[in-house]
Formats: sequence, structure tokens, C-alpha cells
Amino acid sequence: MQANGQDKPNGHVGARDGSDEALVRIEGLHKWFGNHHVLKGIDVTLDPGEVQVVIGPSGSGKSTLLRCVNLLEIPSEGHVWFRGSDLTDIRTDLNRMRTHMGIVFQSFNLFPHKTVMKNITLALHKVLGLGDEEARSRAVEQLEHVGLGQKADAYPGQLSGGQQQRVAIARALAMEPTLMLFDEVTSALDPELVGEVLEVMQELAEGGMTMMVVTHEMGFAREVGTWLLFMEDGVVLERGKPKEIFANPQHERTKTFLSAVL
Amino acid sequence: MAISATRPEEQSVGSAITGEAPPDVRGPTAPFPRAIFLLGLASLLVLAIGTVAIQIDYAVVAPPLSQECINAGIDADFTGHAGVCHIIQGLRATEMKVVFILTIVLGLAAIVLGFSTYRKMDTRRKRDNAYDGAILGIQAVLVAAFVWWFSASQQFLTFAKLDLNFAVLAGHVDDFLRGAKNTLVLAFGGEAGGIVIGLVLSLMVLSSRRVVRAPARTYINFFRGTPLIWQLSFAYFGLFLGLGWNPSPFLAAAIVLAVNTGAYSAEVFRAGIQSIERGQVEAARGLGMTYLQSMRYVVVPQAIRRVIPPLMNEFVILIKDTSLVIVLGLAASQFELYSTSQDLYSSTFSATAFVAVALGYLAVTLPLIALVNYVERRLRSGLVGAGGVH
Repeated sequence: MQANGQDKPNGHVGARDGSDEALVRIEGLHKWFGNHHVLKGIDVTLDPGEVQVVIGPSGSGKSTLLRCVNLLEIPSEGHVWFRGSDLTDIRTDLNRMRTHMGIVFQSFNLFPHKTVMKNITLALHKVLGLGDEEARSRAVEQLEHVGLGQKADAYPGQLSGGQQQRVAIARALAMEPTLMLFDEVTSALDPELVGEVLEVMQELAEGGMTMMVVTHEMGFAREVGTWLLFMEDGVVLERGKPKEIFANPQHERTKTFLSAVL
Repeated sequence: MAISATRPEEQSVGSAITGEAPPDVRGPTAPFPRAIFLLGLASLLVLAIGTVAIQIDYAVVAPPLSQECINAGIDADFTGHAGVCHIIQGLRATEMKVVFILTIVLGLAAIVLGFSTYRKMDTRRKRDNAYDGAILGIQAVLVAAFVWWFSASQQFLTFAKLDLNFAVLAGHVDDFLRGAKNTLVLAFGGEAGGIVIGLVLSLMVLSSRRVVRAPARTYINFFRGTPLIWQLSFAYFGLFLGLGWNPSPFLAAAIVLAVNTGAYSAEVFRAGIQSIERGQVEAARGLGMTYLQSMRYVVVPQAIRRVIPPLMNEFVILIKDTSLVIVLGLAASQFELYSTSQDLYSSTFSATAFVAVALGYLAVTLPLIALVNYVERRLRSGLVGAGGVH
């Protein structure tokens, strides 16, 4: 987590020294939904092992930004580089690139007609082409990792929200991605179930996973984030070390937002 | 209000908020709700059981033909004269008048008692009992009065000759069974082909590409926009022959039914696929699946479950629509239910053939309708929400 400990000035992290070690590089990203200009020129870079937390009021475009990283939303303008490939280039094999980045959603999106085990092994079989045995062993390993080893044969509908979300995380991790995207993954959970999901995410971060996390959990942002990015109205207002921003927000809007949510 | 203001020391906490309680106007509770319900039920049962018993009695005892039957032409020269006349005699018998009168008396009693007391019942269930009893009474009285009046009229003789001459069915049971078999073959054939065509069309219609959507839309609009009877006639008499192909009318009909059902089930599938949450595709694509993989392994299996009830509904409609193949002039061995009855009618001139074939259709469709309702209830009772149907 502390690998990139050197201080960088707030808001300038996108303009890096051009080395290619970055895992994700977003350049000049714009997104329109019809006439609605949701993202207005975003530049963000993420190095391996970093946790990028994105906060901001609802409607600020933070989920859209996250979904542009694996091109579930197609950027209207700009580039998204992942491991040196330009995902916005039409010739890039998106399906293959997506196997290297897991995404977890607010609404879990488990496949309700399949057991927990099959939820996880489906893509291992059909996308990675793994055999039965290897797929199963990977699934078991990830389920145990999220503390749900005994739920392999349950259907998603039989699990609590927190358990479902942990299965969704296990499903993404089983692909052995190099980047994990979390889109408000605790927002749909009962308050008492939030902790178990955040715990899994924190462990993941401590294990060195590169993550981009859209969240309203300020405690998580402060403790786990390498970088904190505050968005409003489609632009990045502030980016820096979480503790610094929490202690000393530069922007007036950041101040009012933080005082409202903390 | 004046009370609470002037006598604060006498107020309880409750009355300070609600004011004085309204007077109790409920009056005494009415008795026997159950008896009123049973009275209404009894009036209907007396009518039904009495009628059946008297009809059986006349059929078994077989008294000689009455003069009025003979005068109406229901005599030895008329095929099935005994059966028809016994129905008439049974309905006009003195015992039957007793049944009618008893039904009407019981029914009226239920109506009067039910409507005069239901407001005074002290529970909702008792009130429903009284109310239901009165409604059953109304039904019994109306049916009894109509049957009594109509069976006593001169016109009834003609009606019975035409529609209640069940003797003409004798020896044709096999024809009806064959008809039922052919109807089901056509319906299942049409449905099987229709499901395949419909699934492909629905995926085309959902494509993001206009050039893929357009032909599928055209197909669907064309077959939904023209009458099935036109499609059958044109395909068989015009298109197939014009293309130099001469299939049997039965095969041609099966093909047209499949092609037509495809258009309708495409819309059912499209709605089913669109009803699956966007997040399902996003999760699948997020795992690196292609569009087709996410459809095949994630969306379609879930959509299939949701479209089973509407598809079965379409199937019930298709069963009835198979009757239209009669316009192609089927060979006798290919008669389905409706052509069987039409054929029997043209050889006997008795519309009883049509009465019988309605029973044939209902024997197939009613169980299916019950099954649709059952499946719908199961799907709605949370099994979808719970995820698996296992």
C-alpha cells in the first residue's frame, strides 16, 4: 500500500513522468448520455498495488468513470489504457482484457439460476477454458477466502446480501484479475452486513491488489485508500492522500461534502 | 368540543384527543349465516341433481314417444328420435316441474334471507356467507326459470332436434379421437417450430444493429399483421405451388402454423429477455464473456423461465387456431377436431357434432389453462425472487 509513498501534489497525479509502469491510465475521458455531459475530461493514473478510492455526491459521474475503465460504458472521448493496451481502440480484444479486471456491482448481479459454485465456475469454464477440476478448486479457494466455503451449493436467493456480495467478489477474484473495480458495493446492504464486505476488500488491498473503489464508506476511504479522488459534476475536484484530504480539503466543495458525510 | 373546554377535570386522556365516541348503532347480530349459504347452494344442487336424475330415468326407462314429439317430426323416420324425445319429455315431466319449483323456492329464500341479514352479521366471514348464499340463490332462480320457460316452449323442439341429438355421434368416437390427435400434432409441430423461429427472431430484434433488426421486424409485423387464414390459403394455394412444391395440406398447415407462431413467440421471448435485469449481462460481460455467451448461459436460461406462462398461453391459442386448416381441404385421415365435426355435420345435418367438438377442444385446453395458472402462481410466489426453481 505504501509502495508509492512519495508525496505528490493534489490533482496532478494524472500528469506522470510517462513511465509505463502504470496499470491504468485514463486520459481526457469524456462521456455523454445523449445531451447529458457526465464526465468532463478525466485524467487518472493507477499504479500496481494502489487503491484508488472515488468519492463524491450522487450524480457526480463516479460510477460512470469506474464503468468506463472496463468499458461497460463506452467513453465518448479520450483513452483508457490498461496494461499498456488502449481499451478504447476498437481493435483491442475487450473480452480478453476484461478477464484481467474484475468488477463488483452495487446490486451483486449474481446469476440467480445457478448455484454459488456455478456462478464462479461459469466464466472459468467458458471464458478461460479451465477444466472441471481446476475451476472447482479455484472456486473453493476463493469461497474460503471470503469465508463462504460451506455455501458452494446454495443459490444466491438463499444468501444474505452480505454473503451474496462476498460471492460476487469471489467470482471476480477467481478469474485472477490484476485490477478489481468496486462500484458502491456496500450501498445496497443492511448496515450490519457492510462490515463483512469491507473486511474482505481491506484484506484484498493489504494483499497488494490494485483496486478502484467507488464508495460512500469514508472510514474505508481513509484507512485503505492509497489515493482519494473527489468528483463533482463530471470533473475531478481534488485528488491526493486520503488522510490529507480528510484533514485539510483544498476545495470549498470538498469541505462541505466531507462535513456533510462525516 | 364545548364539553372538553368546559369540563376539563372529567376528561380522560383518550377523549381529549378523539372527542366523544359515536353512538353504537349496530343493533342485534343476525343468526344462521352458514344456513343461508347452504340454502343458496342447495337450490343450485337441487336443480342440477334433479335434472340429471330425471334425464337418466327417462333414458333408462325409455317411455314411448310423446305425441308432441311425433307432431314435431321427431318420429321413427328421424335418426336419434328416442334420445331427443326423451330429453324433451324429461324436461317437461311433472317431476321436473317439482324440481324447478323447489329450486326457485329455495333460491328465493336464500336471496331474501341473505340480503336482509348480511349487514347485521358480526364478522366479515359470516357476512360473506350470507352474501354468497344470496348470490347462489339468484343464479339458481335465473337458470331454473330460463330452462323451465325454454323447455316448455315450442321452439325447444327444434333446438333439441338440432343440438341435442347425441345419437348422431354414435360410431364416430374414433373420428373424434383421430381429430384430437391431428389437432395436437399440428399444435405441437407449430409450437416446436415457432419456438425455434421465435428465439432466433427475438435475438435479432434485440440486436443493436439496425440491419439485423429490420428483417426480423419485417417478418414479425407481416405475420402478426395478416390473418392466419390468409397465410394458410396463400401459402398452400399460391406460394408453395408457385415454387413448384406440392406438400400435403397437413404439412403445409404445420409449416404455416410454425412460421406464424414464430412471429408471436418472438415478441414473447423479446419481452422475457428484456425483463432480465441489465446487471446480469453486465456481470457476464464483466467476466469476459462475449455477447452470445452472456445470452446463452446467463440471460436466456432465466428468460425461458419467465416466458413459460405466456408461451403456454400462446399454445392454447394455437390449439384453437389449428381449426383454420379446414380451408385447405384436408383428406379424411388428416381431419383435425374441427374438420371432423364439420364433416359429421354435413353428413347428418345435426349441429350436435359442433356441441361435441367443443367438448373435445375443452378437454385439451382446460387442463393446459389450469397448468398455466399453476405455473404462473408458482413463479409469482417468490421462486423467481429466490433464484433457482430447484
